Amino acid sequence: MDIALLEKGHRFSPVSVVLDEAAVHRYLEAVEDAALPALCRDEGQAWAPPMAVAALALRGLMEAIGLPAGAVHGSQEFEFRRPVAVAERLDSRAWVAHRSQRSGWLALAVEMEVTDEGGQAVLAGRASVLIPQ
Amino acid sequence: MRPVNSTSKTWSVGRELPSVSKALTQEKIDGYARASGDFNPIHVDTAFAAGTFFGGTIAHGMLLLAYLSEMLTAAFGRAWLSGGRLKVRFKGVARPGDTLTVRGRVERVQDEGWRLFMAVECVNQGGQVLVTGDAEVRLDG
Repeated sequence: MDIALLEKGHRFSPVSVVLDEAAVHRYLEAVEDAALPALCRDEGQAWAPPMAVAALALRGLMEAIGLPAGAVHGSQEFEFRRPVAVAERLDSRAWVAHRSQRSGWLALAVEMEVTDEGGQAVLAGRASVLIPQ
Repeated sequence: MRPVNSTSKTWSVGRELPSVSKALTQEKIDGYARASGDFNPIHVDTAFAAGTFFGGTIAHGMLLLAYLSEMLTAAFGRAWLSGGRLKVRFKGVARPGDTLTVRGRVERVQDEGWRLFMAVECVNQGGQVLVTGDAEVRLDG
């Protein structure tokens, strides 16, 4: 995908994401998160880390965009609508919400929504990225 | 359902959230790359990163947000996972060798204390703000 050709309103192909038990374990170890395992123990539930769900959805999006190595993450917004269970199957959809060019940089804002198998949103977000031109 | 660690009486304007500190290493950045699947060379390729504007590898922005999320999960439990909102700007970069601290403070309270608005940030050992923004939770969510 040629980033230079992305227009406002462009919709990326939906991406299916699943955080299985091994992936969650790997993530929690990597970020050294002790709070979520404690919450899961208290509730007797296996929740996926909300930021891991967000990272997985973002990864699919960034792969679709094909960001160059010099791209810079400018800002980020997330709303976590409900807890996501480990191994729950989700779909991520994203679209270009803003596009502008200035001083040799392309600024893109991409909004995303992650839904469960019933089509209910579990996460919404917006990422702003600066790409050198 | 009430969140595990919070009631509306617990939080008032000005109260600080318990902070979280992490010692960042290249190994931890590499580990996050494996866990997230983000192998952008600016994070994991020291030779490549040395030749960039940053002069060396930097941590993933999402790793810093994971630290913020840990602090908010510890403070608000289920309420953070179910209705939590985060809006941040990346102001600086975290490098291997940095000691990072995430912290937050209640700035505003609504709905008789059931809805909290916080200022959150991630700073390095020199006090430089790397991430700044706002978080919101609904304790009756």
